[in-house]
Amino acid sequence: MSETAVKNAPIGESFKEKWQKNALYSTGLVLLIMIIAQTIALGFDYPSFGDWFSSWGKNWINILRNNAPVGIVALGMTFVIISGGIDLAVGSTLVAVGAVMMILINGNADGILTKMGVEGVPAFAIGIGAALLMGALIGLVNGELISRSKLPAFIATLGTMKICRSVTQHFMQTVGVKVPRDFTAIANTKIGGEIILPILYWLAIAAILMLVARKTSFGRHVYAVGSNERAARLSGVHVERVKALVYVLSGFLVSIAAVINIARIGSMDYANAGSGYEMDAIAAVVVGGTSMSGGKGSILGTVLGMLIIAVMNNLLNLVGVPPFLREAFKGLIVIVAVLLQKKEKAS
Amino acid sequence: MNVSMNGIVKSFGANDVLRNVDFSVKGGEICALLGENGAGKSTLMNILGGVIRPDQGTILLDGKKHAFHSPAQSLDAGIAFIHQELNLINDLPVYENMFIGREKRKLGFIDHQGELEETRALFSQLGIEIAPETPVSALDASYKQIVEISRALMMKASIIIMDEPTTSLTDPEIERVFDMLRTLKKQDVGIIFISHKLREVMEICDTYAVLRDGVLVSSGEVKDTSIAQLSRDMVGHDVRTAPLGRIDAIGEEALRLEKLTLEPYFRNVSLSVHFGEVLGVTGLLGDGRSELFRAVFGDLNGYRGRVVLEARPVQIKSIRHALRLGIGYLPRNRKENAIIKDMDILDNGTIVRYKKCKRLGLISRKKQLESFDKQKKELLIKMGDPSDPISSLSGGNQQKVVLAKWLMTEPKILILDNPTQGVDVGAKEEIYDIILRLAKRGVAVVVLSNEAQEIIRVCDRALVMYHGDVVSEVFGCTMNEQNIMRLATGG
Repeated sequence: MSETAVKNAPIGESFKEKWQKNALYSTGLVLLIMIIAQTIALGFDYPSFGDWFSSWGKNWINILRNNAPVGIVALGMTFVIISGGIDLAVGSTLVAVGAVMMILINGNADGILTKMGVEGVPAFAIGIGAALLMGALIGLVNGELISRSKLPAFIATLGTMKICRSVTQHFMQTVGVKVPRDFTAIANTKIGGEIILPILYWLAIAAILMLVARKTSFGRHVYAVGSNERAARLSGVHVERVKALVYVLSGFLVSIAAVINIARIGSMDYANAGSGYEMDAIAAVVVGGTSMSGGKGSILGTVLGMLIIAVMNNLLNLVGVPPFLREAFKGLIVIVAVLLQKKEKAS
Repeated sequence: MNVSMNGIVKSFGANDVLRNVDFSVKGGEICALLGENGAGKSTLMNILGGVIRPDQGTILLDGKKHAFHSPAQSLDAGIAFIHQELNLINDLPVYENMFIGREKRKLGFIDHQGELEETRALFSQLGIEIAPETPVSALDASYKQIVEISRALMMKASIIIMDEPTTSLTDPEIERVFDMLRTLKKQDVGIIFISHKLREVMEICDTYAVLRDGVLVSSGEVKDTSIAQLSRDMVGHDVRTAPLGRIDAIGEEALRLEKLTLEPYFRNVSLSVHFGEVLGVTGLLGDGRSELFRAVFGDLNGYRGRVVLEARPVQIKSIRHALRLGIGYLPRNRKENAIIKDMDILDNGTIVRYKKCKRLGLISRKKQLESFDKQKKELLIKMGDPSDPISSLSGGNQQKVVLAKWLMTEPKILILDNPTQGVDVGAKEEIYDIILRLAKRGVAVVVLSNEAQEIIRVCDRALVMYHGDVVSEVFGCTMNEQNIMRLATGG
């Protein structure tokens, strides 16, 4: 608050105003309403408060855990969209990097590393390293096509999306789908009696990326490029590099999501893994208040956006809306969220 | 057709743009409409073209009173306005462009054959050698003009308004358009030729009218006047020439350009700027000065010639390279080129200095504030909180934030392109003071401007450019508005 505004307004009002001015005000409000509705739907029919609370908490852990992988993908998508681009390839990248890892290590003992006698933690480390590298590489290809060859982001990533999934499906027909048993510890090790590791990964990455967005040159440059590419360039921003790097970051985060996904389930479905991730991630980003035209948005917003969609899904489940219909609500909330944001901007 | 506009008055808010202006043009006549930027030329023509309506005054066509409420009405009455940005669709062939919006139809489908034939007929009548099937994108700028003019004729226009038609054309292209205008003249079409270029006016026009500050100051036959007289009329006699009289010692040479060429923007430009000096570069639209210094700043690549910085030849590869060499560049058109609208004031002011605002590897808001506050005080930026959006500031203060950004880099050479564009009078004077202070501190400053007054106000000497060539250097008593205007118009 500026000095003059504080002087002119009573403290209480200025605090409220400050809140309402916050870009995430309405997003937070929607989430709060969702959570209240969901809590009511869950019911209070428990013998004690402790029973109710543990059931409520377990439900929450379920929601968060199930959405952690796509939540991580959405974080990368946020940077891409703020830079003025879009990454449709995330779902296919997930399956491609998963495949690279499975070729190196898999539970049928026909993984390359397993045959070479490398097993256990070293093998996992190499497998995960290869996956992260592959994800970053696919991102780099997207990034170079967009920044250097000046392809529209939509087209470039639509192309790599098709290529990644099709090539993976073809070459993975004979490769085992299971990971070694120990590998699942990466996601399934219990902490405090619950499987919350995926949630912790998600939140830790979100916290780091929040700092990246706000406090690093790269992060600020992403906003600058998305808001006014020409002005950014004339201010000495390496526009091509920034544009390429957001896709590398996106690909890298997708690989992390892939590792968590595989470790969580213990296997990989080469046909369907990650499918629909691109749209779910974009939905979370948009509901979280990030502008599709670039320049505006936040990591925290995306986390809230993801939660809104996840809690809504849970709520629909609790009140008995059939699964096929739930996607319609997802579509609806995206449209409503953006309409609300537009209205807010106009007022 | 004869057009006469009588007693036209128009104001925008408190700003009187046209004060009781009379203007007329006859069929078969080319009339030059002259005046400096902001003299009211465009407003007057926008009234004739039906784009805006006058507050007072009448428009007579062949003695009959008309009032235009839209460009379409004005076009129906036979008046076509050809704007500087041409209105052609590049991906369509010439003949389809001729009929855009009024397509010929046969059985509900577009009658391509009919359109082709009519276009051919018109082109042969006008002696135009363009195949009607050619896509517009394959034509050079002059042929695009010609297509646009013939489209106006196709719509039975008998008065054609052309807004600075030669700005983006090369000399042979200009000749081509002029030939077309001469043909039209013979066919009794009246042409209003808005231009800054007096040499061209003397060559092609029959009559002239000069506007200054919304008043018609002179008009008559071109053969009775001269370039010198016209430029005097445009500028006015009450010229304020406050010489700088700076006695500060000017230092070593900071930047020298040797025969810099980048077609089609500028050719063989040689100049030198010293530390502590303010060099002006001026000219009219299309003179190439912006492009010249964008090349120096690494924003336009592929120039030929040599750039010498502090006696060391350098090949400037990119903007970042220029920044490292200590060159700063405040671009023209603040909104498109300088303002990052979604970022706050502080980010807009410090984006080039993120590296210096870090603590433990992360950008520190506090450090940003520290370095910005110094500039804020020095430049007298009036603003609320640094985290307010940049759009909350007035034009002048936005410009100062952009200036602050460049001052923070402590440039050795600072290029300012139209530094007072869209800035109110008070802030203008403040920006001039800042420029002079910088020079005093030893910075080599280059001011690019289309306002002669601005050049005279802050520059030690100035170069005048015309169509990509430096035509002359002015300083001392030769640096006056009339002289600059004469040189800039190619006289």
